[in-house]
Amino acid sequence: MIDATGLRRVVEGKALLDGIDAIVQPGAITAVIGPSGGGKTTLLRALSLTHPPDAGRIAIDGVDYLFPAKGEIVPPWPGVTVVFQQFHLWPHLTLRENIALPLRCAGLAAGEIAERVAALSGRFGMERFLDRHPNQVSGGQQQRAALARALALRPRYLLLDEITSALDLEQARILFDHLLELRREGMGLLLITHFLGFVRESADHVLFLDQGRVAESGAREILREPATERLQRFLAA
Amino acid sequence: MTVFSIFAQYHEGLLAGLRVTLELCAIIWTAGLVAGTVLGVVAARWRAIGWAARIVSFILGGIPILVLLFWLHYPFQSLLGVVIDPFYTASFALSLINIFLVCDIVRNAVADFPRQYLVAARVCGMSRLHALRHIEAPIIFRQILPPLLMAQVTMLQCTLFASLISVDEIFRVAQRINATIYRPVEIYTALGLLFLAVCLPLNGLAIWLKARFTRNLSEL
Repeated sequence: MIDATGLRRVVEGKALLDGIDAIVQPGAITAVIGPSGGGKTTLLRALSLTHPPDAGRIAIDGVDYLFPAKGEIVPPWPGVTVVFQQFHLWPHLTLRENIALPLRCAGLAAGEIAERVAALSGRFGMERFLDRHPNQVSGGQQQRAALARALALRPRYLLLDEITSALDLEQARILFDHLLELRREGMGLLLITHFLGFVRESADHVLFLDQGRVAESGAREILREPATERLQRFLAA
Repeated sequence: MTVFSIFAQYHEGLLAGLRVTLELCAIIWTAGLVAGTVLGVVAARWRAIGWAARIVSFILGGIPILVLLFWLHYPFQSLLGVVIDPFYTASFALSLINIFLVCDIVRNAVADFPRQYLVAARVCGMSRLHALRHIEAPIIFRQILPPLLMAQVTMLQCTLFASLISVDEIFRVAQRINATIYRPVEIYTALGLLFLAVCLPLNGLAIWLKARFTRNLSEL
C-alpha cells in the first residue's frame, strides 16, 4: 500500500500541497479529481517521488520515506511507476524499443524481453504499429505504448496523470477497461482524470483536491452525495 | 589550356596543397569536435563555465577570421619575440574558432534537452548511466549532428584564409600556379571543383541527416 500523510510542497511561496493525506491500495483505484491548479499532478509527482514533497511521510509497502529527506533516498521505481499526461515516449526509438529498453536495462534475457513485448503488444492491440516511431502514430496509440512501457517491468502501483486528456470517448473507454483489468490483477492504481463517469462507476476511493488540500474524500458515493459545497459546485460545473 | 590539363600538369603541386589543407582540417576538426564537445557539456552543466564560454564565443564571433590570423601571425609573435611556423598559427587560430563553434552547438543541445525523457527513464527503473547512454546521448547526438557537419564544412572553407599568412595549402598553390601561367578561369575552376568534391557530399549528408532525424524526433 502507498500511504502518504501530511504531504506539503511549496513553490515560490505558494503551497501546491498543503498537508495532504492519500492512500493507494493494491487491487484498488484511487481517483484524484479537482479543478486545474488544485495540486493533482503535484500529488502524483510527490507519491512517485519524481518530485519529492518538502514535508510529510510516504510509506510504500512498509518502506518509509520521511521528508525533508535526510541523505539520498532509494527510489521505489519501477515498483511504483508513472504514465505521464504527455506520455514522454522516447522519440528516437520505435514503440517496440520504448517498451523493451527498460527491460534490457534491467538485465532481462533477450527471449524474455521479446516475450513480454509480444504479450503487452497483444494485450493493447499494438501489433500493427509496434515498429513505428512515436511521431508516426496517433495520440491513442502513443498512450497504449506508454502504458505498455510502464507495465513491462510489472509494477505494483501505477500512477496515471490525465492520460485520457488527448483521447476521444471511445479510446478513453478502452483505456478504462484496461485499468479495470489491472485492478483485477491486484495492481494499485492512482488516476487523475476528468472523466467523472468512470470515477462514479469504478473508483474505490476518491480524492477531491482544491487549492492544494483534500477538500473532500471517501468512497465513490461522495460524487452522488457530496458533503461540501465546493465539490457540489465542481460537479455542477 | 583546360581545367583537366591544369589537373594533369600541376597535379603534384595541387595534391601537395590539398594534403596541407586536409592536414589543417584534420587538426581543426579533431580539436573542435573533441575539445568543443567536452567544453559544451561542461558549459551546459556548470553555469559559471557556461557564461565564460558564451563570453569568449561572443568575442570570437566579433573578430573576423582574417584579422585573428594576421594578429596572431604578426603583432602577437612580434610582441613575444618569437617566430612560429604559420601552419601552427593557422591551426591554433582556426581550432580556437571551431572549439567555440562546436561548444555553442553542444551546450545549447545539452541545456535544452527535454528533462521529461529522463524522468520517464527514472520511473522505468533505469539508472542515470543507462538514461545517459540510451536516451540523452543518442537524442542529443541526432540533434547536433547536422549543424556540426555544416560547421565543419564551413571550417574546411575557412582554411583558405591560412594562405594569407603563407601556409602552403591548396589556395596558395593555386595562386602560385596562376602567377606562373596566368590562367585564372581554369585554375580557380579546378580549385572550385576540388572543394565541391569534398564539401558537397558533406553538405548533402548534413541535409539528409537533418531531414531524417528531425522527423524522427518531432513530438507529433
